[in-house]
Amino acid sequence: MASILDTARAAGCFTTLLTAVELAGLSAALDSPGPFTVFAPVDEAFAALPPGTVQTLVDNTPQLARILKYHVLAGAWSRDQLIDQAQWISLEGAPVPIRRATPFEVKNATVVTADLLCDNGVVHVINRVILPG
Amino acid sequence: MTTPIAAVANCPSAPLIPPSQHPWAEVIHRLEAGGSMLPDTPENLMQIIGIYKAYAVPMDFYWRDLLYIAEQVFLDPLPAFKYFPSQEYLERPNAYAGEQSKLRLWRGGEQAHPELLAFMARGETTAMPKLLHHLWHDRINMEFAEACAQAMLWHQAMGGRFNDYLESEAYRANADRAIKAYFRRNPLMLGLYQAFPEMFLEKVKQLSYYANLGLFWEVMAPVFFEMSDIYDEGGFQGVPDAMNFLVKGIFAVAGRPIYHHVFIDGECIEIIPKAEGFTWLYEAALPYVEAVFYRTSPFRGTKSYNAQAGQVPSHQADFHYGILYADVYPVGSAGIPPTLLMQDMVHFLPPYLKELYKQHRRGEQDQLIQLGITFQRSMYNVTSAVIQALRAALLYPLDDTDPEHLLANRRFFEGQMDRFLRPEARLGAIQSQDYR
Repeated sequence: MASILDTARAAGCFTTLLTAVELAGLSAALDSPGPFTVFAPVDEAFAALPPGTVQTLVDNTPQLARILKYHVLAGAWSRDQLIDQAQWISLEGAPVPIRRATPFEVKNATVVTADLLCDNGVVHVINRVILPG
Repeated sequence: MTTPIAAVANCPSAPLIPPSQHPWAEVIHRLEAGGSMLPDTPENLMQIIGIYKAYAVPMDFYWRDLLYIAEQVFLDPLPAFKYFPSQEYLERPNAYAGEQSKLRLWRGGEQAHPELLAFMARGETTAMPKLLHHLWHDRINMEFAEACAQAMLWHQAMGGRFNDYLESEAYRANADRAIKAYFRRNPLMLGLYQAFPEMFLEKVKQLSYYANLGLFWEVMAPVFFEMSDIYDEGGFQGVPDAMNFLVKGIFAVAGRPIYHHVFIDGECIEIIPKAEGFTWLYEAALPYVEAVFYRTSPFRGTKSYNAQAGQVPSHQADFHYGILYADVYPVGSAGIPPTLLMQDMVHFLPPYLKELYKQHRRGEQDQLIQLGITFQRSMYNVTSAVIQALRAALLYPLDDTDPEHLLANRRFFEGQMDRFLRPEARLGAIQSQDYR
């Protein structure tokens, strides 16, 4: 199996996410054994944010890292495990609510592809960037 | 009894969810349609844009001086000149406006606004040394900005992690380093610090909120200037356009770092480093709106409050002395913070607002009150933008077709409107154009 980052690179629809992870200095952490659960927003999710949003974050990497960490949980958790608990604490520190099982919804994002198994965790592909709060 | 969702959703011509039964249902339905709490009328648009302009000019002074105090004046025991920001701070380019910024969403910002500089030179009286302007109180009322920062300090736990950090060991160690560096040639103050360390630490915390608010307003000033320019160019078609401009602005700068640096003999000491990851939205904007728009504290003035008689809530979260609840007349006659802001804004009113105020009530005689109510309308619009931005960030699009998502949006809007159920709220008053 490939790592989380290799899986994302191979998918071809996570260009923005991968660039952001690199800029925020999180690549090494996400390549470590982990394991992690990553809610990975597709490129369209970043493009849907109002103008300037991504640029301000890219210009300020600690703040970018904070938003990215909100998309990561410690441990490898499948869809079936995630829906058993109302919310999960992200690496950012704020809880990520699981709002619905069918369709599978994480906070206000819908999981378009769940349970991509990787060497060091699980990736769930989401259609929207999720924000703490 | 409410209609079952499924039954409503099956009918193609009906809305996907039943109407709200909330007392502010009319406003909730307007928010759900992409509107603002403030009704969409040409006069409301004119009033709010005009006052944004009048607010932005003193705000351009507030943010510069707040940062000057937090970063340079710091713990000066006799800060007699803290309202005299250095030339460096007056010429400091805005980090989020103009060609020199990375963002380039808003114009201007190369240095302090020309109308501000002109007012600082002449005031209401005439050109004279700035010390005389200061002593004659012919100046920008920085006391208002300080009152806002102090309200944020006092209310404290309002979301975000800023306040938690102020209680951390890391913050204490950074503050200690800054205090010792600042007083390294002042044994008397160092001795006092040894004797009363918490007092000094509390003062540094206060200054950290000055930095927080300064960084917050550094962004808001060019946003308001830009809105005024767009309106003058015929760009906004209604109140929702103005609100949506603010929503986009909130997203654009949401990730701006909030930090507190202090400069001592040219050395930068990071009391709150940018690396902590604090952001404009979570650590500044949302606590500001909560502390200043909603809560603040009872003002001294013509209206007295009797805490023993329960006229002041026992919980800070229930405080309701912000502009969204303000009875502008007695507040405006009290010589207290909002009056200072009104006095600051009156110097920079665009001609169309001056003309409007002449036509109503007592004309020029009560224009401070009229502009205070205009300001209240405009802050209901800013609060609407914050509510819509939070809905967009945490919930669902307004045109979502999933009834459960729309109901989640509904619950959020109703929860927000619950805060305006108390009789002091002016949400009802601003629905009418006769409230002036």
